[in-house]
This record gives sequence, structure tokens and C-alpha cells, in this order.
Amino acid sequence: MVPSQYYLVLSAAVFCIGLFGILTRRNALVFLMSVELMLNAANINLVAFSVQNGNLTGQVFSLFTIATAAAEVAVGIGIILVLYRNFNDVDVTTATTMRW
Amino acid sequence: MSVATTITTPAAVSNQPLQLGLGGYEAIAPTIILGLTALALFTIDSIAPESRNNTLLSGVTVVGSLIAVVVTGWQLLTGAGSVELFSGQLVVDGMSLFFTFIFTSVTALVALASHEYVGDRAYQAEYYVLVVLAATGMTLIASANSLATAFVSLELTSLPSYALVAYLKDNRGSVEAGLKYFLIGSLSSAVFVYGISLVYAATGSLLFTEVAATLSAGIDGSLTGVLGIGVVMILGGVAFKTASIPFHFWAPEAYEGAPAPISAFLSSASKAAGFVLAFRVFLTAFPIDAIAGVDWVLAFQILALVTMTLGNFAAATQETVKRMLAYSSIGHAGYALIALGALTGAANQPFVLSAGMIHLLVYGFMNTGAFLFVALAEHWGIGRTFEDYNGLASKAPVACAAMSIFLFSLAGLPTGGGFLSKYFLLIGAVEAQTYVLAAGLIINSALSLYFYSRVVKAMWIEEPAGDLSIEGYPTGLYAAIVTAAVVTLLLLPALAIFSDPALTAGSGLF
Repeated sequence: MVPSQYYLVLSAAVFCIGLFGILTRRNALVFLMSVELMLNAANINLVAFSVQNGNLTGQVFSLFTIATAAAEVAVGIGIILVLYRNFNDVDVTTATTMRW
Repeated sequence: MSVATTITTPAAVSNQPLQLGLGGYEAIAPTIILGLTALALFTIDSIAPESRNNTLLSGVTVVGSLIAVVVTGWQLLTGAGSVELFSGQLVVDGMSLFFTFIFTSVTALVALASHEYVGDRAYQAEYYVLVVLAATGMTLIASANSLATAFVSLELTSLPSYALVAYLKDNRGSVEAGLKYFLIGSLSSAVFVYGISLVYAATGSLLFTEVAATLSAGIDGSLTGVLGIGVVMILGGVAFKTASIPFHFWAPEAYEGAPAPISAFLSSASKAAGFVLAFRVFLTAFPIDAIAGVDWVLAFQILALVTMTLGNFAAATQETVKRMLAYSSIGHAGYALIALGALTGAANQPFVLSAGMIHLLVYGFMNTGAFLFVALAEHWGIGRTFEDYNGLASKAPVACAAMSIFLFSLAGLPTGGGFLSKYFLLIGAVEAQTYVLAAGLIINSALSLYFYSRVVKAMWIEEPAGDLSIEGYPTGLYAAIVTAAVVTLLLLPALAIFSDPALTAGSGLF
């Protein structure tokens, strides 16, 4: 059996790649992809430790995570679409009618 | 083998006494009623998709949420005790009913006020459906008893909220607000679910009670760090929902750009949903004496102090009323966080917790009312800054009187329940010997009186600039504002009705 630390390192790496993408990229679609990476990092943990802990809770919950991630993307694409219609760009930094 | 199983199973069932009733599912009646309301709205929309019969849609939403209010209030006052459903995934107790009462009341007020605000815009059915679905998610958050249901119901609340903030599709402010809310929301939900996965890695369970049991039995020493990071990440997800530092950046933008009734909905109900999640997760799943090494009480003390100070100081520098209310909403999240920060063991812990719950209840009415007044001003098109409100009381004295009640109650003056709830929080902070929090509460309330008074001064004392003309007195908006004002006023003498259930609910978590 693969030691559990390996899974933790893998998921932490995927999570950090996602976080890096969010912090450095300005394209809203790339932002969505990066969030997907972070959610899937959680799925790696859930499935790996489901096997380690010997119960199915984690695997079932990872299905819920995948489903809500899909729903989140659907809403997100809709918002990015109206962003493009209003600002002619999907750059998240162009929308600055209010100050941060 | 399979034949034997199918034969024995009915026999085993028939030996049990025949159960009449709904098998305990009547306990989640408010959630079911809200869900059915959403389905009714879908049906109306599919029968007449081109119709813009706003009165029907708004009426169905108001009636549905009012039925849910009445059912919740009845369950709360009869005190049904604690019911577990779906193998312990959901729990209905005093805490969940208390918060469900807040969510359903705010939903009713917002739906009533939306009648004129939405007017004859397109996609009205979607607007009301999303409001009701978000409210359904909030009632589920209040009942969530496992990290899985907590995450799914949190998403059920968040996803409709993103769409609602961006509802004014041709308004650049609304779209920008929706985008920023979505970006930070999806980031924080990813952080939240990663935190859940780490807690699952350390404890092997998602049920709050099982997590707590595993923690008090002691976990493998090599997994303590994993658990600690997981708890901090879950705290991050909660901080987003309650609009606390450091995940508050979305709040001023989303509240300012969103349609004003949606700002009211998010800043009152959605914030309370974040708090009930925090109360349940941290008190049931991560009890402070079981979880060694993660001092979340200290974390909440720091969060409370920084959040209330930053929120109120930022509110004092704003030029527009809506953005001022948005920052004041962050400040109030800081006050409510005292309920968790003051759980040092020195004080009467259920009292501290119930003080936070009562503050969120009163805040639900007074803050909703204040944002609905902004909705009224937007409906009249009189502008957004403090100066634009000059002399408004000469044209609309009733609404301005209601707004003055809300603002003074928000500041903590005895014109509404806000005085008592802040007083309870203060007693709790002093008893817990967290004097810094008590001092922060007093100083920030004094400061907040300055910027709330600016609005009152503009409305009642200043002369109107130029020709201030308002057309019509929208019935629904007025009804919602006056109802909120009456409830805010009545909560001052009648708070005892809610303080006893709150105290009972608070002691249920210890």
C-alpha cells in the first residue's frame, strides 16, 4: 500500500498549483480551471483516505464535490459571459467601476 | 442467500409497532415548504414563461416563506427537542430552528420588497426561485450535522447568490459585483472543501459527533498538523460566508453592486448562515477541550477584534450610503464573532453563544430594513451619496422614520433590539474576561454612531438640494420597511420571547 504521506504531498501540490494560478492569472476562465484543480486536490485526499480509513464516506463525498464543482462552473461561465458582454473582455482586472 | 434476505426483511419490519406520523420528517418542514415554494415558482414560470406577472410570483414567495416562518416559530416555541434525520446527517434542534426563523423572515421581507424593485424586468421567476433556493440552502446549513451536508448546503446557498448579485445583466456594477463575489466565493469553497478533506484524513469521519469522538479519543500524532491545517481552512470558509477578515473583500463590492433587496438578503440571512455553521462546526465537531493544538477561541478573538474595527473604520470614510452599510455589515460580523471569541470557559458559555444568536436575529431585521430603504431610494432614483438623501424626510416621513430606527438600532441606541443584543454581547465579553473585545465593542459602537447619524442628519435636518421629487409610494417596499421597523422596535421590549429559546438552543451545543 502506498504510504498516506505521498497522497498528502500530491494533493498539496495540486492545491498549490491551483492557488498559484488564481493568484497570477488574470483570465477568468483560467481562474475557473485553477479552482477545479483545488477542488480535485480535495478529491484526491478524500478518495485516498477513504481507502486508508477503510470506509466509503470519503469516496461518496468526492462524488458530491464533483457534482457541486460542475454546478459552480455552470454559474461561473454564465457570470463570465455577462462580464464579456459588458466589458468586452474576460480579464478579471478590467471590471473596476467600483474600487476594491 | 438473497431469497432468504428478502423473506426475513418484511417479517422484521412487521414486528415493529406500526408508526403513524411522518417519521420525524415533519421536523424539517420549513425546508420542505421553501423547496415546494421554489417548485411552485418553477411551475408558474413553465406555464407562462413570457408573463411578467410580478404580483403572482412575489405573492407566492411571500406566502411560502411566511408559512415557513409560522411553522418554524411554532416548532421553536413548543420546543420539540433535538431530532436526527438521515442517519444523523441532519439535526433539527433549537439552534437550527432559531436560525431558520431568521432566514425565513428575511426571505419574506426581501420577497415583499422585490415586488416593486424588480418591477417589470425580464426573468422575474428566476429571481424569486433563486432567492427561495438560497433560503432553502440556508435552512439546511442550520441543520447540517456533518461536513458533507454542510458543504453541499453551503453551495446551495452560494450558487444562487452569485447569480442574484449579477441579476441586473446590463448594469456594469451588478456584473462586476457578481464576478468578484463568484471569484472569491469559489476560491473559499475550494479552501473549505480541502479543509474538510484534511479533517477526514485525520479523523476518518465527516459526522460532527464522530469527528469530536475521534478527537477526544486522541488521533495519531503524525496527523495533528494535518488536522490543524484542515481546521484553519474550514475557518477560512466560514469567514467568507460571514464576511469576516480576511475573506471580506467581496462584501463591499457585492453589497454595493447587487440589487438592494439582494444586498439585504446576503448581508442579513447569508451572514447568519455562516454563523450557524461556525457555531455548529466549532462547538460540536471541534470542541476546544478535545482539539489539542488548535486554539480556535484565540483565532476568533483576533478575527472579531480586527473585523469590527476595520469594518467600522472603513464605513466611516464612505461617500455612498449603500457602501457604508456594506462596511457596517462587516463590522457587525465582528460583533457577532464575540460569541465564539468569548468562549474562554470563564463565562457562562451558553449565555455568550445565545447573545451572538440574538444579535444576529435583531440584525436580520434592522439591517434588512436599512438596505430595503436604500432599495426604496434606488427605486425613486434619487442617487447614492449621503448628500442625495438631503431633505428626504419632508417627502417620505414614514420611510425616513423607519430608517432612523434601523440606523440608531444598528448603532446600539435603545430605539430597537440592537441595544439589548449589544448589551448581552458586552456582558458576555466582560464575563469571559476578554476585556479587549468589550472595549472594541464599545469604541466601535461609538464610532458607528457618527456615520449612521450622517444619514439621519441628511434626511431630517439638511435642506434638499435643487428639486427633490419622488414619484409614488411603492406598496410592497413600504410594507416591508414598516414591518421591519415595527419588529425592530418590538424586539426591545419583547426580546424575552426569543432570548429563552436562544439560551436553550445555546446550551444544547455544550
